[in-house]
This record gives sequence, structure tokens and C-alpha cells, in this order.
Amino acid sequence: MIADSVHAIWCRELERDDIAADDDFFALGGESVIMARIQGAFIEELGVEVPMDQMFLNSTVTSISAHIESLGAVTGSV
Amino acid sequence: MILQGKRVALPSAPVVHRRFEAHARATPDAVAVFHAGRQVTYAELDVQANRFAHFLAARGHGPGAKVGVCLDYSVDMLVAILGTLKAGAAYVPFDPAYPAARLQLLLGQVPDLALIVASPATASLIESAAVDVIDLQKLSGHLADLSATCPDVTVTGDDICYAVFTSGSTGTPKLTAVRHEGWFNLMNWLRLEYGLDRRSHNLVVSAFGFDLSQRALMTPLFCGATQYLMASRNFDAMLAYRMLREHDIRIVHCASSTLYLLVDWESARGGDALARLDYVLFGGEPLKTERITDWARREDNTCTLLHQYGVAECTDVATSFDLAHYRPGEHDIAPVGTPAHNTDIHLLDEHLHAVAAGEYGEICISGASVGAGYLNGTGPENEKFTAIDVDGTPCRLYRTGDRGYVNEAGNLVVLGRIDAQVKVRGMRIDPTDIERALGRLAGVREAAVVITYTASGEAELNAFVVPAGDDLAEDDLRTRLLQTLPRNMVPSRFRNILRIPLSPHGKVDRAALADACRSEYADSTTTA
Repeated sequence: MIADSVHAIWCRELERDDIAADDDFFALGGESVIMARIQGAFIEELGVEVPMDQMFLNSTVTSISAHIESLGAVTGSV
Repeated sequence: MILQGKRVALPSAPVVHRRFEAHARATPDAVAVFHAGRQVTYAELDVQANRFAHFLAARGHGPGAKVGVCLDYSVDMLVAILGTLKAGAAYVPFDPAYPAARLQLLLGQVPDLALIVASPATASLIESAAVDVIDLQKLSGHLADLSATCPDVTVTGDDICYAVFTSGSTGTPKLTAVRHEGWFNLMNWLRLEYGLDRRSHNLVVSAFGFDLSQRALMTPLFCGATQYLMASRNFDAMLAYRMLREHDIRIVHCASSTLYLLVDWESARGGDALARLDYVLFGGEPLKTERITDWARREDNTCTLLHQYGVAECTDVATSFDLAHYRPGEHDIAPVGTPAHNTDIHLLDEHLHAVAAGEYGEICISGASVGAGYLNGTGPENEKFTAIDVDGTPCRLYRTGDRGYVNEAGNLVVLGRIDAQVKVRGMRIDPTDIERALGRLAGVREAAVVITYTASGEAELNAFVVPAGDDLAEDDLRTRLLQTLPRNMVPSRFRNILRIPLSPHGKVDRAALADACRSEYADSTTTA
């Protein structure tokens, strides 16, 4: 499940384990430099390149996971 | 103490867009802009800008007018900027990455705004504006009917070319105006001093509202090179690095913090796209040398790092230093070098008298780069533009509020804000001084220090430390700092933090860190 992997990456980079699927990244205290680390982790661990603008627009685990799955539907690579 | 920049004659009308127009005539088929896979030549961009200039002129927006630009990086942004300049007017950038409420506050600070250029993607951000909002795409049919030739408008070096928002001292952002002469002088200096030419293709990586972004936007067009713009509203290291890898980009202008992110990206994933640039021009905050040293010392690194200093009030850049000449020592701060052409740095005491060589003083700037001042009303900040007597001649200058000195090699060294200093138990302290000491400790990747005040009004230093590996223990940090700093300079609290938060302009967000301290105190007070 993409959402499980995304959740694990968020917990690690935000250094907390109490993140719900619909918690907002910025409300959790996240900022752009942490977002950049998550972007890097998506490349290395999930094999997907997600532009920063999409990460800002989809700022919950649920919505960014759905976005990543939609990329997979197009490219067939995920 | 005065550091004098080289005197270089400028044309009688040092007007920025005339350079672009000369390139459009000399190399009309050269690519001026690359954006989202689309290329636009100098001739095409010139025609589009001429038509927009005629549009503005027909509406009565000529010399003296201010045109708002609220666009994502795009060809239209350059059309709007160049067209505004050709009409003799000045543009005011409104960064679409800002929240609408912030843009509303900024819009209210522009006296007599003529209109705003926006797009379907940005229009909702500024819908509260009391002036006309126009969309170049919707107007394209109308614009196509206008003359493609350059409008006959006389522009002088003293006319305003752009105005950007900068921090004031009373909580209200100040709108500071830059003159054509200053901007022309800046880019002409970069061209002559560093050999920028039509091969000096550029990638913009900074936020539109930043003063350095105006330089990054115009310098390639001033030199006849290609401007690469990213289809991204937020800084995106992945996309930026991909652009560097895929295109023959030679130059990047950025804030120091942005350079760290690009260096991190290249260091983590391999590659040499950053290391083989001609120049990175960066600065705007104290340099954390440890963030770039390993990368800069790579054998294949041929990129010249220009560590620069300047203020928006004086056209963005005042001095520049080639970091290749820098070897960090125990208590060294990376210098910012020597002045731009036709620019002087004065180090003055509080009575505006020159300090002796090597002594600390307020950094003041005179010469071609001194701007036209603040456009939004009165305030204590206006007094920062003043005049002193130099050898019997009055000299207009700007007091930056930054403190510095000139080292033995004749390079300016910036020590920090005069007003960021704090007295702790009677001792005057600059927090950046402590940050540097922390940054030199083994196991510390980066550090920031902010000041909070106890209920009794006593200043407390709070350190935020980004560990290179495992979290660092407070006792250990304190013990090691005590070996390099006076006791009064050792912070009372240390927190390990994942990353230092950055403001939209890419600088350390001290306000956010201070808020974090305060809410932590509030929590501990409640539970106690």
C-alpha cells in the first residue's frame, strides 16, 4: 500500500508517530525543508518523482498517496 | 573607513531595457526564455513587450506609474516586466506563493498602483485589489492589434524600474524603489567583472518577491543569454536539479539557504550539474561554511562561488567575494569582499563619523546603487537615507543597520544586524556569533540562536541545533561551547531540531523559532 509507505516516511521525517491520514503537514509543524526530504524519500523508496507544488497542494497522507497512485495509473511504474 | 568600488563610466541614459533591445536587434533569433518546453526568441519577446507597453501607454500608465505583477514564473512575466519598463513605468512583484491575506496587506502599501497583471492561476489571490486586474492571455487578441515597435518614451537613469517589499522596523513592510541607473550599474558590473555574456544562461530558483530575483530575472536578458524558468511556484530542488542537468545553464543567483539545499541534493544523489556551473552568486544571510565546504572542495568542482552582500534599498548587491580565496580559520567569518562598480562602503559610528581601519562600524552604502527610497509613506526608516560630508562634498548614503569591519586584506566582513544584538547580563551579544561557534562543533550540522525574554525581562538565548547524526545532549553542547565562548554567550536552552525553518525568502525564520520557545514555556507553565 502506497499510503502505508507514505505514512512511514512522514513519521520518520517529521519525527513523530501520531500522524493521522488526514492530518495536515503544515499543521503538524512541517515546513518546506522537511518537505524536500520527503520528496527525496519518495524518489529513493517509492521510485516516484513528485513536484514540490503537488506536495504543497496535497498536504495529507491520504491526498498525496492518492496523487502518487494516480501517477502509477498513468505511467504503470508504481 | 571607506572601501571604494572601481569607477566605471555608464551611458548617459543607463536604462536597463535598452540593453535587452540592443540584443533583440543584434541577435533576434537567440533564445531569450525557456519555460515549460517552450522557447521564445529575443525578437518575439521584444515584440510582445512593445505591445504591452503600448497597451499601458494608451491607458495613461507611463513614467511614474507602478504596475503590479502577480504571476508565476512564465514568459508572460517577462513580457509584463519588459513592457512596463518600456512604458517608462516601474513594476512591483507580488509573489503568488504568499497567502492572499499577505498580498492584500502588501497591495495596500503601494500608493497609486496602476493595475495588476495576473493569470487564471493567480487572480484569486488578489481579488480584493481595488485596481484593474488584467490577464495577458485574455488580452492577446487586443494586444496583437497594437504596434510591434518600441514606444517612444524617454526614460532616464533616475527613473524607478522596480520596487520590492522589505522589512521595516515598525512591523509594516517597506516598499523600496530601485532606479534604472542602479540596476544597470549592477548588471553591467557583473557583466564586466565576471565576464557574463550571451552564453551565461541562467536558472531562476528564488521566490519572485525577493530583490535578488529581479537581478536573476533580468541579468541574462541584459547579457544576451537565455533565461530558464521553472514551472513551479515553490522552490523545488528536484526540478531545479533536473533543469541544471538537462540544459546548458551557467549561472544561478540564490540565497545561501537555497544553495545548501542544492548542494545537499547533488551530494546525496551524485552528479556534477551544480559543480560545473560557471557561477553561483549567493548571500543574504550569514554563511554557514560547513554546509558547502565538502562539496566546494570536490576535485571536479569548477563553479566559482561569489559570496555577496547587499540590501534591497541599494539595488540588491553592494559587494562580492570569490570564496576560492577563503580558508576558514578558527574564528573567521567568510568575508563579502569588495564593492561593485561606482559603489562605496562606509563604516561609520553612531554619529556618522568614519571609524578607523579595522574597527567595527555601521555599514553604509553610497554611489550609483542608492535607491529612490521608500514609496509607502513616512516612518523612522526614511531617516536611514541620509547624507554625510566626505572631504567637503555632500554624499548621499543609506545606513544599512548592519555592522561590519574591513579585514587586513581589504575585504568587508559583515557581523550581523545592529538591532539583532542583545545584552545578556550586561554583555552585548550578536546571536550569529554563537551560531557560528555551534556550527563549528563536531556533530552539529547547523544551528540557529534566538532571543526570548523571561517574565522578569531578562534576555535568554535559545539554541536550535540540527545534529549531523544522533541527537546532541545539552550538557555536552554546553561543555564544548564553554571552551570557545564567554559564559554569557552560551545559550540557556538547547533543542535538537530536524531542520532550521526558513521564511518564504529562504532565510532563517527567527520569528518561528522564537514562537516555538514561547509556546514551550507556556506549556511547561501550564503543567507545572
